[in-house]
Amino acid sequence: MTLTLLVQSVLAGLTNGFVYGLIGLGIAVVFRGARIINAMQGDLALIGSVVAYLIAVSLGLPMILGFLLGVVAGGVTGFLVDRLMIRPTAKRRGTEDSFLLVTLGGAFAVSATVLLYFGRDSYVLPGIGGNAMVDVFDAAMRVHAIWLIVISTGVVLALRWFYAKTAIGQAMLAASIDPEGALTLGINVGWMRTMTLALGGLVGGLAGVLVAPLINIQYEMGLLLTLKGFAAAILGGLTSPFGAIFGGVILGLVEALAVVTISSGYKDVVAMTLLIAIMIAMPQGLFGRRGRLGG
Amino acid sequence: MGSILEVRDVSHRFGGLQVLKGVSFDVAPGSITGLIGPNGAGKSTLFNIISGFLTPSVGDIVFLGQTTTDRGIAARSRAGLQRTFQTPQVFRDLTVRENLVAGCHMRGRTGVLEAFFGLPNVRREMADARRRADEIIERFDLGPWREIPAGELPAGRQRMVELARAVMCEPKLLCLDEPSSGLSTTEVQTLMETLERLNADGMTVLLVSHDMKLMEVTSMVHALCFGEIIASGSLHAMRESPRVREAYLGT
Amino acid sequence: MTVSPDTQRARAWTWAITAAGLVVWAALPWFLSRGTIDILVFAGLYTIAGLGVSFLLGQCGIVSLAQSGFYGIGAYAAAYGTTALGLPIPVGIIAGMVVSGAIAAAVGIPVLRLSGHFLALATLALAIIAHVLFLELEWLTGGTLGIGGIPRIALFGFTFSTPFRFYYLVWPCAFALILFYTLLLNSRTGIALRAMRDAPAAAAVAGIPITSLKVRIFVLSAAVGSLAGSLFAHYVSFISVDSFAIDRAISFLLIAVLGGVRSIPGTIAGALFVTAAPNYLSRLGDIHPILFAVALIVAVIFLPGGFGGFVSSTWRRLTAGPRPSATGGP
Repeated sequence: MTLTLLVQSVLAGLTNGFVYGLIGLGIAVVFRGARIINAMQGDLALIGSVVAYLIAVSLGLPMILGFLLGVVAGGVTGFLVDRLMIRPTAKRRGTEDSFLLVTLGGAFAVSATVLLYFGRDSYVLPGIGGNAMVDVFDAAMRVHAIWLIVISTGVVLALRWFYAKTAIGQAMLAASIDPEGALTLGINVGWMRTMTLALGGLVGGLAGVLVAPLINIQYEMGLLLTLKGFAAAILGGLTSPFGAIFGGVILGLVEALAVVTISSGYKDVVAMTLLIAIMIAMPQGLFGRRGRLGG
Repeated sequence: MGSILEVRDVSHRFGGLQVLKGVSFDVAPGSITGLIGPNGAGKSTLFNIISGFLTPSVGDIVFLGQTTTDRGIAARSRAGLQRTFQTPQVFRDLTVRENLVAGCHMRGRTGVLEAFFGLPNVRREMADARRRADEIIERFDLGPWREIPAGELPAGRQRMVELARAVMCEPKLLCLDEPSSGLSTTEVQTLMETLERLNADGMTVLLVSHDMKLMEVTSMVHALCFGEIIASGSLHAMRESPRVREAYLGT
Repeated sequence: MTVSPDTQRARAWTWAITAAGLVVWAALPWFLSRGTIDILVFAGLYTIAGLGVSFLLGQCGIVSLAQSGFYGIGAYAAAYGTTALGLPIPVGIIAGMVVSGAIAAAVGIPVLRLSGHFLALATLALAIIAHVLFLELEWLTGGTLGIGGIPRIALFGFTFSTPFRFYYLVWPCAFALILFYTLLLNSRTGIALRAMRDAPAAAAVAGIPITSLKVRIFVLSAAVGSLAGSLFAHYVSFISVDSFAIDRAISFLLIAVLGGVRSIPGTIAGALFVTAAPNYLSRLGDIHPILFAVALIVAVIFLPGGFGGFVSSTWRRLTAGPRPSATGGP
C-alpha cells in the first residue's frame, strides 16, 4: 500500500467519521435529554438533505436557503416526533422498547415517504466550495469535507456551551436526570423533552445537509446512518457530544482501513461488528461511566 | 457442625463512602439470627453481599463451608441460599401457584426442547411441581388466591407469596430483608408465627430488620451501626446494651 | 387437581372455536383465487417466522430484528443444499436450522447479556451483517442474481407445487409450532421466562439461569425462522438477496407486535395483516409502505397487547365468572 493511498483512505475515513459523528451527536443529544434512543436520527438527516435538495436544486433557489431550511425541517420533524409519537407513548407508560419501536416505525415512515415522492434514485447536493479539492500529502480532499469538520466541531462546542451556560440547557439536563426534582423546581419536563427532540432534529437536519454532498441521498440511507451514528455515540459514552464525534471518527477510520485491507463490500459488516463488540465490551463507551449491561 | 454462613471481615465502599468496615459474624444452623441497625447502618449492603448481588471490596462470604464470595446469585440459590426483598418481588403476571412453581425452577431437570415438544417427562415434572406448590400454598394459607396473578394481591400477601416461593426451594438458609415493613400488626404476628414454625421444621433464618418486635423470634442478634458490628447477643442483651441504645436512640 | 366449572366452560369454548376455525381453514382454499391463496401461504410462512420473534419479545423481552437473517440462512441452506450439493430436501432444511441455531448461540451468548435498546440495535446490526453477507458471498447465494430451480417439496409422491397444495403444508407446520410454543409457555421453562420478565432479580434468586435460558430461546427462535425460510425457498423455487433485507426483519417484528407479543395464536392475525394489507393497500398506490409504518407506530402506542391481547382480554371478560377478590379474606 502506498503512502498516498493510505493518506487517501485516512482522509475518507475521517470525513465519513464526522458524518457518523454528526448523526451520533443527535442521538447523544436526544438520549441525554430524554433517555430515548431515537432510531429516526438518520432519517432526520434524510429529511434535511431532501429539503435542501428540493430548495437548492429543484427550485433553483440559493444554496444557503436550502441549507438553512434543511436544518429547520429537521428541527420541525423532531418537534413533531415528540408530539405525535413520543408523548402519546410516554402517556401510556411505554417501555424502553416501545420508544425504540415507535421511532423505528417513524424511520420507516420517513423512508417510505421519500421512496414515494423521489423513487429509488439517488441524488447529490452540491457542496460548499462546489467540487473543489485541496491537496493533503498528495491525497485529495473535498473542500466541503473540511467545512463539514469545521462546522461539526463548532456545533459540539456550541452544545457544550449550551448545556453548561444557558438556563434552558441546564433545565433540559435537569429534566432528564431527575424529572421529579425538576418538576419541583418549576421546570416543565414535558416541554423540555419536546425541546430536546427538536434540538436533536436540528442536529439531524444539519447532518443531512452537510452529508448530502458527500454521499448519495437515497430513501434507504437513514437506517444504516442511524446504526453507525449509534455506534459512534456509544463509543463516546452515549451522552457526550464530543464523545459522539470522537467515536464517529474512530468508526470511520476503522471502516476506511477495512476498505483498503479487506474489500469495500464488507465495510458495513466491519462497522456493525464493531458496533456489537463495543456494546458488549465497552457499554459505557471510551470515557463514560454509565454501565448498561443487565440480566 | 459449624456455621451455615460465615461473614468474614467484610468491608465495602461505594466510591469514597465506606459502608461496611470489617464485619464478621456467623449464622448457626437451626437458628433465627437477627441483624439490626438504624437506617444507613449498612444492613442492606451486607445483605446484598451475602446473597450475591454485590461483591465486597474486601472479605469473604462462606456458605456451608465453601467460599462463595465470587459466585453468582443463581449459583448461591442452587447451593441453598434464598432471600426476599425489602419491597416484595413477586412475579406480578404469574398466578400465586405459578410463582411457587417458578420458585423451585432449579429442582427441575427438563430442558427447552423437551418442553417445546411437550414430552411426558415435562408434564410429570410440572405435575410434581404443582403438587408441591399446592402443599406450600396450604401451609401459608394462600389457597383462595392460588389462581390470581400475584401482582393483584395487597402488599402484605405479596410478602407471604414471596416467602412461600423462597420456601419452595427448601433452602438451607433463608434470608429475609425487612420482612415486616408495610405489614399490619396482625400480619406481623402471622409472619412471626410462620417463621417460628419454619424454624421448628429445621430451617435456618437470617433476619434483617430494624423492627425490634419482629426480633423477638430470634435466638441471636447482631447490631450493625455505621458499618460495624457494635454488639452481639440475645435480644434481651441488645435491649440492655448502652451502645445499642445509643445507636438507636442517639442518647 | 380440581378444575372449576368456569375453566371447564372456557376450555369447551376454546375447543369449539378451534374446531370451527380448522373447518374454515380446511375449506377456505376451495373458494379462493390462486392469488389469494398465495397470500395465505405467505401468511403461513410469516406466521412461523413471526412466532419466534413474538415469543422472544413477549416472554423474554428481547426485541429481535435478526430474524430476517435466520430466514435467509434457512432459504439459502435449502437452495444451496438441494441445487448445488444435491442433498435431499429434509437434509437441507435441517442443515439450515442447525446452522441458524449455531450462529444464534455463538452470537447470542455475548449479545443477550445486553438489554433494552442495546439488544434491539445489536440484533438490527446482525440483520445488516447477514444481508451484506448474502449479497457478497456470491458462490453460496448467487448474490443479486439469486438461486433458481429449487425443487418443490414432495411427500409420498405428492408434490406441493401450487399455492393450493402448499397451503396444506405450510399451515399444519404453523399450527404445530403454535401448539409447541404454547406447550413451552405453560411448562416450567415458560413460567421461568415469564418470571424473569416480571422480576429479574427475584428470578435469579429462584435459581433461574437467566442468560442461558434467553440464549436457548433465541436459538429456538432462529431455528424456527430458518424453517420458515427453507419452506419459502421450496415454495417460490427462486430466491434472491432482496427477500432477506432489513424490511423483512421489520415485517417479522411488526407481525409480533400487531399480533400481540403475549399471545401465541395472535401471531396468525399479525401475519395475515402484514401479508394481506399491502396487497389491498397497494390499490391505493405506492403509499402502502407509509401506511405500514404508521400501523406499527399506532399499534405500539394504542394497542400494546396487539390483536391477540385485545381478543384475549375480551375473551377473559366473557368467559370468566366471579373470582375471589384480591383483597378480601377467605
